[in-house]
Amino acid sequence: MKYNVIEVKERVIADNDRVAAAQRARLQEKGIYFINLMGSPGAGKTSVLIRTIEALRNRFRIAVMEADVDSAVDAETISRLGVPVIQLHTAGLCHMDADMTARGIEALMEQEQGAPFDILILENIGNLVCPAEFDVGAAKRVMILSVPEGDDKPLKYPLMFEVSDVVLVNKIDTKEIFDFDEERFRENVRMRNPQAEIFPLSARTGEGMEAWFAWLAQEAERGVRK
Amino acid sequence: MKVIELHKSVTESNDRDAEKLRRELRQQGVLLINVMSSAGSGKTTLLSRIIRDLGKELRIAVLEADIDAQVDAERIAALGARSIQVHTDGMCHMDAGMTRRGLEEMGLAETDLAFLENIGNLICPAEYDTGAGKKLMILSVPEGDDKPLKYPLMFRESDVLVVTKIDALPYFNFDLEKLVERVHHLNPAIRIYPVSAKTGEGMEALEAWLREAVREWKVPAQL
Repeated sequence: MKYNVIEVKERVIADNDRVAAAQRARLQEKGIYFINLMGSPGAGKTSVLIRTIEALRNRFRIAVMEADVDSAVDAETISRLGVPVIQLHTAGLCHMDADMTARGIEALMEQEQGAPFDILILENIGNLVCPAEFDVGAAKRVMILSVPEGDDKPLKYPLMFEVSDVVLVNKIDTKEIFDFDEERFRENVRMRNPQAEIFPLSARTGEGMEAWFAWLAQEAERGVRK
Repeated sequence: MKVIELHKSVTESNDRDAEKLRRELRQQGVLLINVMSSAGSGKTTLLSRIIRDLGKELRIAVLEADIDAQVDAERIAALGARSIQVHTDGMCHMDAGMTRRGLEEMGLAETDLAFLENIGNLICPAEYDTGAGKKLMILSVPEGDDKPLKYPLMFRESDVLVVTKIDALPYFNFDLEKLVERVHHLNPAIRIYPVSAKTGEGMEALEAWLREAVREWKVPAQL
């Protein structure tokens, strides 16, 4: 029984990779820079997203897709900022795949009646396991780990750290309280993924946020020029 | 569509396997508790504390499930409790068959209380009955008091909610009362224990519940 499940999963993933690659090419052509944002529940995906929108909205037209198992809490929060947002429900599934994402993008474009945007951010389902396995067609994968989760997480969720281009270390202002060893964390990440960019920051205090904004702005500009 | 159908048939046969395992564990007098939570909410730290506090009066064993590592099993073994590491090879949950194999490998002779430390996330583990006698979930303060709104199934399925890291309450915008209200709305019967495994605050109440649950489980089932 276990073997069957794995075979099905592999077939699903191979199909998914084709759909994702096509999606990536389409968005690049349109000059839309697409980010897949992943992290555990409560790591601060929505908080970082809000800060990022506030900081970059004057330079870029930003749109958001909120993926959740079953609620609309995050989409409501984001919609208060007045940027285009759509809520996607996975009906219990713990990840977004390329096809679901494509349908989301289509629905978002329809909702906004074709109004163009420069940066599109998918806030993926909150967990460090399944979203790592599915390419959704994003230009870059960004993951958030928050300090209270612990500096040992790259050891336990290696794939997520392997596939992420950027690691945002949120709630860095609580480092002392949680005995989070930043150097050890960096080493653990590097072991999995030497290329990953690491930004320690706090969405609450604003500490370290500028470096992340600068990285994203530069990346998006490169994407938009294409 | 296909994926969803497959998933359904898998969970149906899983429910039968789980029921069978639960009956066998009851006959052996072993209370298996399925411990579920997000990554980093403090499952291993809480279990370590419980083993230190109750290890002399109860014979405790731990089945550590992870995708790929064995850091947790090493931490538990360092406390002298029996433990085994199970790898799910990328899967985000444990099912009844995997749990049975893990328990058989570990051995349950002279065990009163066994914990299954499930894969760290609030979604998939909620969907699979592992055959455990009780389901215990952990939510840590830094994760936020809005989690019942976003992961309702996990809160609905659990018998006990342990709110960990309450020593960090002053640093986070976390409303314990609001959380309790949201959780009880989904699951009026759930027991809620706010604790800090670090300072020990609240542990006594949780451990009293554990003792009682083990005692009840050993009483032969009626009917």
